[in-house]
This record gives sequence, C-alpha cells and structure tokens, in this order.
Amino acid sequence: MKLLQKFSLMAVLMALLVVPAFAQDPITFTFGEFGNPVQLDPAVVTDGISFRVTRQGCESLLEFEGGTTVPGPGLATSWEQSEDGLTWTFQLVEGATFHDGTPFNAEAVVFNFNRWRDTSNPYHFAEQTFEYYEAQFNGYDDDSIITNVEATGDFEVTFTLAQPMGAFLNNLAMPMFAISSPAAIEANGANYGTPEVGYVCTGPFRFVSWESDVQVVLERFAEYWGEFSGNVDRVVLRVIPDNAARFAALQNGEIDGFEQPNVEDIATIEASEDLYIQLRPSFNTFYLAFNYRIREFRDPLVREAFTLSIDRQAIVDAFYVEGAVPASTMNPPTIGIGFNPDIQQTFDPVRARELLAQAGFPDGLSEVNVLAVDENGMVTDEVAETIPVRLYYMPVVRPYNPDGEGIAEAMASMMAEAGINVELASAGDWATYLGERANGNLLGLYQLGWTGDNGDPDNFIGYFFSGVGNPLPREGFYQNTALADLLLTARTGTDRDTRNTQYQEAEGLLAADFARIFVAHGPVPLAFRSRVTNYITSPLGTELFKNITITE
Amino acid sequence: MARLSFFKGGIALGKYIFRRILEALPVVIGVSILVFTLVRLIPGDPATVLLGERASPENVAALRERLGLNRSLPEQYFIWIGNILQGDLGTTIRGNVPIAAEIQRRFPATIELSLSALFLATVLGVPIGVISALRRNSWIDTLSMFFALFGVSIPVFVLGLLLIFLFGVQLSLFPFVSRLDSGVEVQAITGLYVIDSVLTGNWVGFWDALEHLVLPTLTLMTIPLAIIARITRSAMLEVLNQDYIRTAYAKGLPGSMVIRRHALRNALLPVVTIIGLQLGALLSGAVLTETIFSWPGIGKWLFDNIIARDYPIIQAVTLLIAMIYVVVNLAVDILYTFIDPRVRNA
Repeated sequence: MKLLQKFSLMAVLMALLVVPAFAQDPITFTFGEFGNPVQLDPAVVTDGISFRVTRQGCESLLEFEGGTTVPGPGLATSWEQSEDGLTWTFQLVEGATFHDGTPFNAEAVVFNFNRWRDTSNPYHFAEQTFEYYEAQFNGYDDDSIITNVEATGDFEVTFTLAQPMGAFLNNLAMPMFAISSPAAIEANGANYGTPEVGYVCTGPFRFVSWESDVQVVLERFAEYWGEFSGNVDRVVLRVIPDNAARFAALQNGEIDGFEQPNVEDIATIEASEDLYIQLRPSFNTFYLAFNYRIREFRDPLVREAFTLSIDRQAIVDAFYVEGAVPASTMNPPTIGIGFNPDIQQTFDPVRARELLAQAGFPDGLSEVNVLAVDENGMVTDEVAETIPVRLYYMPVVRPYNPDGEGIAEAMASMMAEAGINVELASAGDWATYLGERANGNLLGLYQLGWTGDNGDPDNFIGYFFSGVGNPLPREGFYQNTALADLLLTARTGTDRDTRNTQYQEAEGLLAADFARIFVAHGPVPLAFRSRVTNYITSPLGTELFKNITITE
Repeated sequence: MARLSFFKGGIALGKYIFRRILEALPVVIGVSILVFTLVRLIPGDPATVLLGERASPENVAALRERLGLNRSLPEQYFIWIGNILQGDLGTTIRGNVPIAAEIQRRFPATIELSLSALFLATVLGVPIGVISALRRNSWIDTLSMFFALFGVSIPVFVLGLLLIFLFGVQLSLFPFVSRLDSGVEVQAITGLYVIDSVLTGNWVGFWDALEHLVLPTLTLMTIPLAIIARITRSAMLEVLNQDYIRTAYAKGLPGSMVIRRHALRNALLPVVTIIGLQLGALLSGAVLTETIFSWPGIGKWLFDNIIARDYPIIQAVTLLIAMIYVVVNLAVDILYTFIDPRVRNA
C-alpha cells in the first residue's frame, strides 16, 4: 500500500514536471512595421504593409516561385491555354479549406472574380474600389479583358478573355487576386477586411486580431492544405513608426526583423553577432523624367547631354546599400523577360558639353522656356515663361530612392561639370508632389521610380509608355508612337520568347530617344535577429513567413 | 444664511458655465469651417495619395468622384456637419473604418499618457517652483532653473531616443514599444489601461501597462515640468513681494502658513492657467512622443492622416481638439472662481 502511495505521489510529481514541457509557448515571429495595414481584404488594398499581412493567409491561383518573379502553381495546380490565347482552363487543388471551414472549390474562384469584375454584383460594394483589378484587367464590366469565369467542374475553372494577354498568369499570381471565402464576404459585407473581421482565406496563417497602430496577430492554420516548411506558430506584425525605435526594438529582442533599416545602422547590424542583414533583390527603377513642356527638352541632343552628365556608379556607391546597380533601362535585370543587357548608359561630361554646344548652347544651359498648354491640355509652341533649369526631388524615401534631396544635390554638381546649372526644387510633401506630377506641373526634371507588381514588363515599361492618345501629363507629356505600338503588341502576345524580344526592342527605342534618365535599381535591406533562419526574399517584396524557422 | 449664499453662489456659477458654453459654440463652429476649408486648400488630395506613383488625372478624377470630393465645398461641408449632428463622424478614406470607433480606441491612450505626464509635471514642478522662489539665487534655485531650461530646450526625439537607448536597450529596464507587451491583454473599460487593469484585478496587465508608461511619460513631462516650475517660481516671487505677505509675517503667522495660505494660493492663478493650457496641448496628442514610443494615440494618427489627406479623420480629430481646448479652458475658468471668487462676478 505504502509502495502504491509512493508511486502515486511520484507519478503526480512527474506529471507536474512534464505538463509545462507540453504547454510550450507558441513559436512567435514578430516583424516590425512602420505603419498600419490599410485593409485586409486583399482585393481592395494597394500598399505593401497590407499585403505583407494578407500574403501570410491569402493565396492566389498562381504563386510566384520562391524568390523569383516567375509564376508557378498556387491554388491552381495546372493550366492550359487555348490555341487562340482566349481561353484558359485551370485545375484547382482539392482538399483546401478556408479559415472559416468552408471548402475551397471552383465556385469560390468564380465568386471572387465576379465580385471584382461585375459592378452590378451584390458584393461589389460601393464603398470599395478593386483598383488593381481595374488596372490589371483593363477595367470592369464590358471593359474587362476577362469576359467570363466559369466553374467547368468542381475543381476546374475556365476563364474567357476578350483578347490574348501576355501577363495573364503573372496577374493571377498577384497578391490582390487572392481568393477569399465567399461565406465570409457574404456574412460581413463591406466590413470584410476591416480590423473587426480581417481576412478569411486558405493560406498557412489565419487572422486573429488587428489593433490599429499596435499590432496584427496571425496564427498557424492547422488545416492548411499546402507545404509548411518552417516552425512559426504565431506571427505578430508590430507597429513601430520610428526607424530608430524599430532598430532599438530589434536590438533588445522585442521584434525579430524589419524592413529597410537606416543606411547608417547597417554597419552596426552587420557587426553584431545577434543580428544580420539580408538583401531583397531590387525590382525597381529610379529615374529622372523630362517634362516636355520645357522646349529645350524636346531636343534629343539636350536629353542625351543630360543623360551623359550623370555618374550613376558614383550615386550608387554614395547613396545605396550594397547590391544596388546603376540603371540604363526601365526594366530591371531581375525581371523575367524584357531586360536588355546591351543598353549601357555612360558617363561623359565632356561629350555632354559638346552635345549642348551642338544643340545651340555653347555656354551651357541655365534657363529654359516653358511652353504653354491649351484648353485641351495639349502643349503648344508658344513660350509661356522662362525659368531656371529645375530638378525636383522626392520628399520621401523609397527603396529605389534612398535620399531624394541628397541625390539631387549630387546630380546638380555632376550636371554643373557638364555646363548645366540646375536649381533644386521641392514641390511640397508627397501628396503634392504626386499631384503636381500627375498634372504635368513639375516644370523641369523630376525624380520618380517604380516598383514592379507582378514581374511582367507590361507592368514596368508597359505601364509608362503605351499611351497612344494625347501625350500624358503624368509622363511629362512624352510620347513615342512607335514605342507605344510595340508595347501594345507585346501586351497581347502569348509567346514568352517573342515578348522578350519585343520588350528588349522597346527598351532600345526608349534608349535611342534618351526619353528618361535611368539612375539605379536599389535592393531593400531587411534586418533580422540571428534566431530567424530561412527567410526567403522575393524581388516582389511579398515574402512568406511559412518558410521561416526560428532557432533558439 | 450660509446655505443661502452657497445656493446663490451655485446659481451664479451655473449661469456662468451656461454662458461660457454658449460662447464656446461659435468657436467650435468657426473651427469646423476653418479646418474643413484649410485641409482642402493644401495641394494634393486623398485620391492622389491613395494612388501614389500610379496617380494619373483620369484615375484621380474617378476616385475623387467615388469619395464625393467633386461636390462643391459648401455641399460637402453641410453633408459632413449634418452627419456629425446625427452622431456620425464618418469612415476613413483609407480602409473604410468608422472614425468614432478609432477615436474611442486612441483617445484613451492619449489621455492616459497626458495625465500621467501632467500629474508628474505638476507634483514635481509646483514644489520645485516654490522652493526656488523661497531660496532665490541659492544653488537649489540655480540648479532647478538650469534643469527647467534644459527641459524646454532638449528636443523630444533626442530625449526619447536617449531614454530608449539607455533604459530600453542597454539596461533593458523598461519597454518602449506601445502600451502593452504583445501577448498581454487588458480588458478595456475606461480605456486607461492602468485603471482598467486594477478594476479587473489583472495585475500582470497593471505592471505591464505601468512599465510601458515610464519612458514616454518621462519624455513627455519634461516640457510641462519646466514650464510649470518656472511659472510657479515667478508667480511666487511676485506674490512674496506683496504688502499683505509682509503684513502676514508681521502678524506673527508661522512661515509655512503664510506661504500655503497667502502666497501659494494667490500665486496659483497663473499656474492653474498654464497647467490647463498644457493639458489642452497634451490631450491634442504628442506627435513626436507617440511616434518614438509607438504609442497608439491621437496625435500620431492625426499627423499621419494629414500626410495622407484623409479629410474625414483630420476634420473629426481637429474638431475634437478644439472642443478639448474649449472644455479645458472652461474648467480652468471655473477653477479660478474657486481660487478667486471675484472672477465669478466679473
């Protein structure tokens, strides 16, 4: 009896010791964000912070393959295209469920696409704009390139297009075309995606909570259908607006990682045993645009002179993190197709001076003439005013432009070497800058850039130069009909190699025209604590936390 | 007799408050019109910001129409004010989230931080000011006024980051991100976590909330502390030179009683005013402190949304701030009537 009691006591004690070992804390990955998500319905958002959250839980029919801009299988396992390029049939994964327990199937795909495409659909809410659908598929209703989406089987869905679309698969892989639970949208209406509801999709992490300006919490979805190679149970996206405070939070372990530390902190991070830097390959282009309302900028010799006056390598070395490269083209080297390695812009201030002299400015250029705009918004031949040569700099930091004013100062001194005296100009805050740019009111050279959304050149060079109507104010009234025609042909092409050649040719036309001064492609540094391993970066900036392994 | 005069005094005070509220109405309406017009005068609009690098005149125009920004200004104003009178502050442009709920969540964070900073600033600032005045030109006076000058001079972000580096990173003594640790929760009743955690008996939450308050409070209190100490000192100095103080001493009253009853009470008038003004300023949000310490308050939110041109948020929050100032000013004036009854009848 005594022996039995003894054993019982030991058993109880052992149980007490063992229980805590089972009830381990979930493995948490905490990422520091500089701001809030805007919304968590992937179909209505456009900003990187929102997508970083939705990407962890919401999946598209196709997914960009790890670390590339090439679309591969996602919720669709395979696909076929008809001969004429107008019909696409997708086989869907079987056995996937949404976070609310409802099954994923062809009907759910049809529900989502109809909601985005059809403005009379009861779930196409007036309060929401499916901005990316509109942009990527040419608009809603009759304008939409997707004309029909049909469930041709329980797990087979067929898309009909109005015209062939070269970027179709890349578009489908974009995070905004992730498939949400129809039941959740029906139940929550326009509140789907707000802090109260979050997202309800099929991905590896389900939504738990979102307290604005504090944090978003996600947890591992036990019934996830796909491969989950990491060990993270819980994801916290913590809002820490100040860059220095975010770095301090990384140092003391409050967060495990964050995007874009200050350039001056990178050396400290690299020197620390507990921290490291990982570079996201650049998928962006920083450029200077000419506003063609400036009469002098209409002369290709002048544009070439400006282009030759910039020492890109010096700018990259002085302002960018390691891994940045000088740019000579609109499409960056990391793009799947359409990069033209043969185009190399050079730095030659002596030649720049000669060209200016040829163009009729032997004493260099300090003042320029602004052409008037008529009531239809067309630039006329009449000179409205004479102003100094202005270089507008961006008031915000972007991966493609880490220091707008600093770079502008450097460029101004380089241009001075070539006999061009530019005056630095600020157009106010970011909203003002963008507004003035959209209306063609930045009268001079101006900085801007682009980060690709879907890995296709139609979303890079094609976005800027395929206008065939009136010259676009947003592009500084630049127009090149031959270039636009070529880009429009490439847009509807379906053969990858042909499109590759077409986009390379398009870059050639752009370069021959010296239409823009391309400056740099900048990578994005990410800082982590060393316990974070296997963070796979993506040029598109939409990394998956399901791959991360936390080591203690 | 005493009761009757108290009653009469009550009526007078009630009338006074009523009159002041009536006077405040045009102020609030004026502010609403001013803010409404001013935010629309800043170049760039929410549509442009939302569209970012993708903004073109066509899609900006389409978005403006959807947001109702293409209507005439008076029309937009009356729609907005009409909704406010019905208790509807509207929804945010970015994200379509109800603004009232957001204010309800963020404002307590600002209140908690402001009160804690102002409380410390007052309980430290007033005695420091009094002592400095009494020991005028002594080393205590010089030292405290040096620190007061230092307090108003040091930029908030420098002090905040210094505290974070020292107490947050090097010594790991206090947290510096947000109001609570990531896993800790406090059930919101008043929204002031220190109070709510006590009310719900959540001691983990209490200590966590208190720890999170330390560094932002120290940062935020420096300026009010310095101002309160300096104003108290100069007000005390002025009062101490008055004839009635000399008379009080001459009557043989103990020094402590002269200071408490005669000097301090009279010196308090400007001090109360300044505390009230500081409270108004603090409650309107401390953008820098909130940013550095990731404090989810109203100031940082307002700032972000001025940048984003989220008109409904800017309008709602500014109106709230205007009302805070009106209420705080009113409270200060009522306090006056207790400190100095002559004000009531003036």
